[in-house]
Amino acid sequence: MGGLNTALLIGVSGLDVAQGALDATSNNIANVNTPGYTREEAQVSELAENDSNGQVTGGGVSLDGLQSIRDELLNMQINQQTSLQNAADSESSSLQQIQSYFSSTGADLASAFSAFSSSLVELSGNATSASAQAGVLAAGQSLASAFNSTANGLTGVQTQADQQIPDTISQINTLSSQIAQLNGQLAQVPASENGGTTQDQLDQDVQQLAGLTNIQVTQTNHGETITTGSGTPLVIGDKSYSLSSSTGPGGLQQVEDANGNNITSSISGGTLGGSLNIANQVIPGFLTQLNSLASQFATAFNSAQAAGTDSTGNAGAAFFTGTSNLSDAAANISVGLTSPSQLAVNSSLSSTGNNIANLSAALTTALPSGQTAAGAYASIVFNVGTAASNANTQSSAIGDNLTQLNTLQGSVSAVSIDEETANLMRYQTAYEAASRIVSTVQVLDNAALNMGSSTSF
Amino acid sequence: MLAILQQSQGTLNTALEQVSTGLSVNQPSDNPTAAASMVENTIETGDVDEYTQNVSTSLATVKQASSVLTSLVSSLTSAQDAGIEGANGTSSAATMKIIANQVQGILDAVISDANSTVGGAYLFGGTSTATPYTADATSPTGYTYNGNNQTSTVAVGDQTSVAVNLPGSQVFSNSSDNVIASLSSLVTALNSGDSSAVQTAVTAVGTAISFVGQQQVFYSNAESQLSSQETFLQQDTVTLTTQESNLIGVNESTAATDLSQAETDNNAALAAVAKVLPNSLLNYLSTPS
Repeated sequence: MGGLNTALLIGVSGLDVAQGALDATSNNIANVNTPGYTREEAQVSELAENDSNGQVTGGGVSLDGLQSIRDELLNMQINQQTSLQNAADSESSSLQQIQSYFSSTGADLASAFSAFSSSLVELSGNATSASAQAGVLAAGQSLASAFNSTANGLTGVQTQADQQIPDTISQINTLSSQIAQLNGQLAQVPASENGGTTQDQLDQDVQQLAGLTNIQVTQTNHGETITTGSGTPLVIGDKSYSLSSSTGPGGLQQVEDANGNNITSSISGGTLGGSLNIANQVIPGFLTQLNSLASQFATAFNSAQAAGTDSTGNAGAAFFTGTSNLSDAAANISVGLTSPSQLAVNSSLSSTGNNIANLSAALTTALPSGQTAAGAYASIVFNVGTAASNANTQSSAIGDNLTQLNTLQGSVSAVSIDEETANLMRYQTAYEAASRIVSTVQVLDNAALNMGSSTSF
Repeated sequence: MLAILQQSQGTLNTALEQVSTGLSVNQPSDNPTAAASMVENTIETGDVDEYTQNVSTSLATVKQASSVLTSLVSSLTSAQDAGIEGANGTSSAATMKIIANQVQGILDAVISDANSTVGGAYLFGGTSTATPYTADATSPTGYTYNGNNQTSTVAVGDQTSVAVNLPGSQVFSNSSDNVIASLSSLVTALNSGDSSAVQTAVTAVGTAISFVGQQQVFYSNAESQLSSQETFLQQDTVTLTTQESNLIGVNESTAATDLSQAETDNNAALAAVAKVLPNSLLNYLSTPS
């Protein structure tokens, strides 16, 4: 049969639960600004009823534990989007640098081509003028150095991206080993807590890892198994596998798994994917276009030069040199003439006037690529601009998506001060009520103990 | 909330950049197509400036050459008049010698005309830099042509060039209509006092006058060609400038409106965030007693 003691025990269980819920609330409030913290809720269940001689009384309440409130699916989406976002951000910032070399600054190739073309027009007005000839030579030198600085600028950005790759890989390896360690600890956490704070740290690390490269996360009995996009394991249970990088053929960076297999092509997301794309695809593409422009234009202008004779009657020497090797034509192009008088202004066929129209034609007629020099350069500017603008658009689109996902996750997992304040009041009231039960039972106990005693009243 | 602030700050920065630079395309990614078109526009604009320069220089050359030819015609006419006077049969040998001196003076003036320069370049030397005519005792006319037979052509547009001079070998010492030879043989004839030879020489001078008249057509053609090209280039400059402003320029009033709109939006966003941030349920609870 239930007695005052039963009531006391029920009251005490209420005190315990209110105490536990207050712990959860105070921990939530304390961690309101902790990155990766997932709010905890007290998990409460009623205790079994007491059946004493047919009389049934409630058994009180029990605190099953403090459970972290998380949504794994949402976390996965966030990881995926973070991967894409970081790749787009890293590409966007590199392209921002790249396009500065193609902006109209006065020292860019468009301005140099314009000055070179104008100098030839000026020369056609006065073919024998030494100053007009010197003007062409100077403009040619500016054009060559504009080619050089644009190519060097591109190579510089490529080198930066190359240097980021080993750094990113070492961050990936550090995170992988941390995650493996946390996987080991997670095995010790009671299932009822839904991972608790260990899982918070793990989620935080996994999200950072997703920012570095594209990963797939699989929940297993031994914690989380993490692989790169192609299935190369990074973490299995409490073991981690390191990636490494090396310089491959053509000076391009490549990534290898723990067994030394080249997995470069399977890496697409995160900072690593972005850097690889910039260093191995985007910049080599622009450089190829620039090199072929430099080489084809130099060849066209040199053959126009060879068609004439210079002021001293010699056959026109090559105006541009250094373009024989297509792979670094733009970086190496320079002016081969040492004196303005070497400019082949005269036609070698004495009756056909001067050779300047031929020289100008190198600028206005189509190169072997099918475009004029200006047209070919305009194509490069267009490609650079489109790539930069696409990367920006992608970055901001994914950013919007990620913001939305984070808001969603916030509504599930983040600490709301309003909610916690309300909980604080709720549990305070519950605690006060439960303690009132205890004090009431105490008064009743006293009354029972003093039954029949005249002094008590 | 921070995302909203960042976005609003970004819009404000773009608007500010557009107003301060006056350009809507400050880097290729702002508008790749416009940036690519601007490459051609930049080159074309530079060329058109130089073409315009070439046209105005060439116009000066052509006008100068044309006026030299006009003065050549009047020189030749006075030589012709003098020759007719010498050939009328009544002139004494002494008079004819005086006339011969007079014609020699005209010949000297014609040579000096033939050697005239504009901007340091000889008008009638072909493309050569040598003085076109120098005295040469071994030559039948007394002068040698040192220039070449080439015509200077000047580029005044893409694919358009104009020939701006005739070599002296064409104007002054052409093998069929030799101006200098006609004058020098008149001098010789007058000096020799042979009135029939003077008569022949005077006829030759007359032919030379009409020949020079024909050469003037070349210069007046060149002049009108250059003038119409000048008009075309002016229009081209306007077209290119318009194209440039369409491609990368900003409409100032739109940009200014955008800027003030962006400013207002940014202020509103900041004010909203400032109002929302500190509020929570705690603000409305009294402190526990």
